[in-house]
Amino acid sequence: MNVTSSATPELAAKISVRGLNFFYGENRALKNVNLDLHANKVTSFIGPSGCGKSTLLRVLNRMYDLYPKQRAEGQIVLDGENILDPRVDVNILRSRVGMVFQKPTPFPMSIYENIAFGIRLYEKLSTSELDGRVEEALRGAALWEEVKDKLHTSGLGLSGGQQQRLCIARSVAVQPEVILFDEPCSALDPISTAKVEELIDELVTRYTIAIVTHNMQQAVRVSDFTAFMYLGELVEFGETDAVFTAPKEKRTQDYITGRFG
Amino acid sequence: MSLYTVRRTVNDVAMGLCTAAAVFGLSWLVMILGALVFEGAKGLSLAVFTQNTPAPGSAGGLLNAMAGSLLMTTIGVAVGAPLGLLAGTYLAEYGQDSKLATTIRFINDILLSAPSIVIGLFVYTAVVAQVGHFSAISGAIALSILVIPVVLRTTEDMLRLVPGSLREAATALGLPRSFVIRHVAYRAAKAGLVTGVLLAIARVSGETAPLLFTALNNQFWSLDLNAPMASLPAVIFQFALSPYKDWQQLAWTGALLVTVTVLLLSIVARAFGAQRTGK
Repeated sequence: MNVTSSATPELAAKISVRGLNFFYGENRALKNVNLDLHANKVTSFIGPSGCGKSTLLRVLNRMYDLYPKQRAEGQIVLDGENILDPRVDVNILRSRVGMVFQKPTPFPMSIYENIAFGIRLYEKLSTSELDGRVEEALRGAALWEEVKDKLHTSGLGLSGGQQQRLCIARSVAVQPEVILFDEPCSALDPISTAKVEELIDELVTRYTIAIVTHNMQQAVRVSDFTAFMYLGELVEFGETDAVFTAPKEKRTQDYITGRFG
Repeated sequence: MSLYTVRRTVNDVAMGLCTAAAVFGLSWLVMILGALVFEGAKGLSLAVFTQNTPAPGSAGGLLNAMAGSLLMTTIGVAVGAPLGLLAGTYLAEYGQDSKLATTIRFINDILLSAPSIVIGLFVYTAVVAQVGHFSAISGAIALSILVIPVVLRTTEDMLRLVPGSLREAATALGLPRSFVIRHVAYRAAKAGLVTGVLLAIARVSGETAPLLFTALNNQFWSLDLNAPMASLPAVIFQFALSPYKDWQQLAWTGALLVTVTVLLLSIVARAFGAQRTGK
């Protein structure tokens, strides 16, 4: 195990990554990564482009399974179960580990349907129950007030920031346990970014959150733990304050002070 | 002359040539359409839509031919379009760059550009010669073979235009692949898929060669799928070559009807396409 000496004892690991290697064809993108994502905490992943942080996120819900030449080796334990095991039902895994992407990706359907769609797949609900769940999800994503009068218009008609919150609502609606954010604010203006960050603060009381970001201030603002990655390796992992104020590794120091990357 | 003036002159000359080429090409099209409307409209009457093809010298219309075209095109599209949609879905969503998919794509491209008479001959040997007589159903089979490559191609192209990020987003919710395709990819590509089917209808509704070898023609009203059946293109072909003035007039009118139908389908297809880019 790498670095969790600074962790306080009541922390529980929701996801434990052990000896993870990842390959795009012949190209090794992750090199022996070990870390824990703690339950009900926000863990941010920082590092220069191409360092493997998005790759790591995409391993956590086995998104890479969509692409034939990508493979992972090692162990990722979610609540005691190794999710890299080929016998794991990836659809159920993904319903437990949700993901929000860099660009908003509303489905080409109404705002209501965007959210109801995922819920219907896993639960049989009456119309009123479903209405309630949709409202709850939209409220949870701080979007309800803006869209309550146009639930049945296309989700594509919303602004970029609203679309991203719709995508967050959609992920939350299926009641996952972990939510992965892959640079969720990089396409958003500062006001929308602030709203998404507030949202992450609220969501973490119920979910375990991992966020990839290029914005180091954002990492400081939203996360409890920070992982710094470089060239496919996990260089440093620890409490966010510690990583940013007293990094143990020189490479971390160089990166966060803007000397490279 | 400065370099700039030279460039301007070259530009003007090139522009002039391009415009001339466009006008030259389009003028033929306008002349064809003009002749068609002029000659075809002369024969338009209620009888065209209510009476069957006549014997030379007597009055008649194109009712049996229109019914035959409609029936065979409908069956052809009903059989061919789903096959094309499914095959296109396989290529875009599952096969991608696998050997099987590459082979199918290659064969489909050949089929797409194969002369339709070859399809007619194929169905003639495979069905008509085996059964021993011409039939509407063999005509419908020939048309369906023509529909498949058109629909397959547009389906694959349209599904490939659906951004991968949308598929990933749906997958990330835990949706099984079949669900992602049916509820997200199809929906995102809907306008394009409909356009593909409409274009396929437009393509086969004017086909003559494959029908001549299969459904042949029929002077009388018939909806029997196991018997020869009239169709607009086949009637146009027969009547236009005949020495009788009244038959030639019906051929013009039939040609106008086919053209207008194709035009309307293209307009609807374009409207769907515009919807896609608009929203």
